[in-house]
Amino acid sequence: MSAGQGQANRTSWSLAAPALALLLIGSIGPLLIVLVYSFMTPGDYSGVQRPFTTQAWEQVFLTRDIFDDTLGWADAHMTIFWRSVKLSVLTAVITFLLGLPTAWFIATRPPDRRALWLFLITIPFWTNLLIRTIAINEIIRNEGLLNQVLLKLGVIGAPLQILYTDTAVLIGMAYVYLPMMVLPMYAAIDRFDTRLLEAAYDLFANRWQALWHVVLPVIRPGILAGSILVFVPSLGAYVTPRVLGGGKNMMIGNFIELQFGQGQNWPLGAALAVLLLIAVGLALTVYVRVLGGAGRADG
Amino acid sequence: MAERRFDPTRLPGFATVAVAVFVLLYLPIATLVAYSFNGGDSVAVWGGFSLDWYGRAWANETVKAAALRSVVIAACASALATTLATLAAVGVVRNRRMKGRAVVYMAINQPLMVPEIVTAVALLIFFASVRQFTGYQGLGYLIAAHAAFCVPFAYLPISARLEGMDATLEAAAADLYATPRQAFRHVTLPLLTPGIIAGAMLAFVISLDDVVITEFVKSAGQDTLPTYMLAQMRRGVSPEVNAISTMLLMVTVVLLTAFFIINKQTNRGKQ
Amino acid sequence: MDEATRVYVKDASKRFGHGATVVHALADVTLTIEGGSFFTLLGPSGCGKTTLLRLLAGFETPTGGRILLGDQDVTALPPNRRPINTVFQSYALFPHLSVAQNVGFGLKMQGIARAKRDARVDQMLALVRMQDFAERPVAQLSGGQQQRVALARALAPEPRVLLLDEPLSALDLKLRKEMQIELKRLQRETGITFVFVTHDQEEALTMSDRIAVMSAGRVQQIGTPREIYAHPANRFVAGFIGESNFLPVTVADGAARIGDHRISLAAPADPGPATLAIRPEDIMLEPGAALSAEVTDTVYLGNAVQIMARLEDGTQIALRQPATIDLPESGQRIGLRLPVEAVQILEAE
Repeated sequence: MSAGQGQANRTSWSLAAPALALLLIGSIGPLLIVLVYSFMTPGDYSGVQRPFTTQAWEQVFLTRDIFDDTLGWADAHMTIFWRSVKLSVLTAVITFLLGLPTAWFIATRPPDRRALWLFLITIPFWTNLLIRTIAINEIIRNEGLLNQVLLKLGVIGAPLQILYTDTAVLIGMAYVYLPMMVLPMYAAIDRFDTRLLEAAYDLFANRWQALWHVVLPVIRPGILAGSILVFVPSLGAYVTPRVLGGGKNMMIGNFIELQFGQGQNWPLGAALAVLLLIAVGLALTVYVRVLGGAGRADG
Repeated sequence: MAERRFDPTRLPGFATVAVAVFVLLYLPIATLVAYSFNGGDSVAVWGGFSLDWYGRAWANETVKAAALRSVVIAACASALATTLATLAAVGVVRNRRMKGRAVVYMAINQPLMVPEIVTAVALLIFFASVRQFTGYQGLGYLIAAHAAFCVPFAYLPISARLEGMDATLEAAAADLYATPRQAFRHVTLPLLTPGIIAGAMLAFVISLDDVVITEFVKSAGQDTLPTYMLAQMRRGVSPEVNAISTMLLMVTVVLLTAFFIINKQTNRGKQ
Repeated sequence: MDEATRVYVKDASKRFGHGATVVHALADVTLTIEGGSFFTLLGPSGCGKTTLLRLLAGFETPTGGRILLGDQDVTALPPNRRPINTVFQSYALFPHLSVAQNVGFGLKMQGIARAKRDARVDQMLALVRMQDFAERPVAQLSGGQQQRVALARALAPEPRVLLLDEPLSALDLKLRKEMQIELKRLQRETGITFVFVTHDQEEALTMSDRIAVMSAGRVQQIGTPREIYAHPANRFVAGFIGESNFLPVTVADGAARIGDHRISLAAPADPGPATLAIRPEDIMLEPGAALSAEVTDTVYLGNAVQIMARLEDGTQIALRQPATIDLPESGQRIGLRLPVEAVQILEAE
């Protein structure tokens, strides 16, 4: 490497250094401390103390019977993990089923009107997630619009209790994360060469075959990106399950908070946070692998 | 019938679903805005149009303090994040053969990949120790935390603008006897300005909207508007929260519209 | 000729847009494409040839008129129900599929069993000499190879008619010449009706059994390459296919008059003002001939020379001679003879 390149690298690093320092203090560094805390003992009041132990990690999965001291699976924890994964997968599936036609619709509008439709998707995307959660709460609560309409129509005799159920959390997450699915799929469809569709019809495909055999495989990177953009924040969701799920229908994010609040078990909270981080890391790795595989097939 | 053109992009049912999605997307927001103008005391019954709840929110000292705090944090955090992101972008984008370039990218985009709740508890732990050690209790923690997660949002439009900029302009400036510093000040920076403004606006909106990290980092009495609203939601819906939501919504829409207009004009300028 | 693969287009028209912005892309086109022939739609861009091809494929529905395949009316059939396949100008190969999967696509959509499909794909790849590339992703292929795959893909379902939309335009000259020969071979071997769209007159002349010359949404002339070249029906065709001189003449008593000079005609023509068309290479130099011209410029072309000259009435005329002749100087007067068999009388301007 030339001396000039070395000098350029030093300049680059020194310009990037303040931003990196901020991120080290405000994000990356504290994450490493979480890892350390997960191997410590809960403090008497809050916080942590020595000695170092793997007790918190055991607690994540196992529970010790208070009478005979035997170890068993921590069923309550498993329920929360399972609910988190199940609701996140369902959210991704629902947003995909609704998002694909939406993205397709936007991408196939005449160019002069496309920007407007796109803008209509972008506004909810940038609107405060809490506000959107409150908005969906207005719809599904017992006195909300949905129940009022259903009562008026005589479909139901008494208000449906949707709020504070898993269904409420699912509806809420699908609502708040839908734009995350639409935008990357729109980008992929926008790049899609519609002559491929003509070629498919010319080769005897009907509309559904063209969709299945040509459109979906070609826009796969957009579908994967959308799915990961919905799945990852769903898995770590905190606000939506807190507002719509109430105290009982916790997801892992709320359970982590509990350990730092009432639970007073910082090491367990830290271990759960690390576990969530690992799960997200795994999802991202799978995503990159799958995408890489697609890239190879495309050449 | 014979007039109809064969449209290869038409897929049965897609338009219907899409229109339904747009309705479903806006119906809850519209409902929330409508309820904020509800004159009645009950959350269930429409009691006529009224600005009552706006008046009550406005008269509420806690809300006012929270709103001011939100703006102060967002302004400081977005200014800090945008400045640092600009420096980083200038340093990294042009130096294509930079050693460790991927590391810088990873670090800058890291807040986008880690779930907010994880960062939130990490900051809770870290700042708890710092508080104990220094005794400082101010808004600095919130500003630092917000600035950190705003960096990738500020970085994005700035680096995009820089990528699209003709590198020979700086060479031309150098050829005309400008020092690197002068070239940056008089050539790069003016051309970069639209990207910087866009980045700052995104960072501002992101900071203003944050709930989770603020909830964990704030000390007692440091509520921002979103965390105040979250606390109110524990007691169920309230028209006051709807009124605050509507006002925040307006701010977002105005900023976004401005962002799109600026973007459109600078893009047109490029062509 | 094969009845089932004959294409009959009757009064087909196509308008785009409404009201004041309406564009007549195709105006009452009637033509017959014989089964098993190599038929070319030739014309400049915007002449309606691609629109006609898209009507045949089913991507567009005609505003008026009918399209018959054999004795079946296919006017309203969507493309996926027509036994007609297309080779697209951009090839439109599916980027996510391998070469073999691309070629087998149409068969798969038709629900043909795997084993039969594979056999047919192999056969098609052999036909276009791409056997060794079966498992390659299409993005790794060169332009010429993609062209072959597109051909194999369109031929695999054994269409009754194959449509080719300027398939050679993206290739460089050498490859284009090779593919012209290749296409002609494929057409002969498969016996499928080829409908070929091009704006390249040389390509059309060398490959086609019959050519339809199109302009402004109308068919100007249909005929064999020889007929169209030797006996263009109007000035557009004469000008578009090869080069022609157009001389204003007056027809009377079975002869055409250019000023005082009289040229007797082989075929009868209506008396009155007319245009005489003659190709530059058909004009002969004849010292002392009655028709004379003044040389204004000469251009060396390698295998020939082109002489530009001005007739006495001021009309510019071009003639082409073997490079071996002694070049006349600018300003020199030369005598010209217009052989009667090379002269075409067209309508006056």
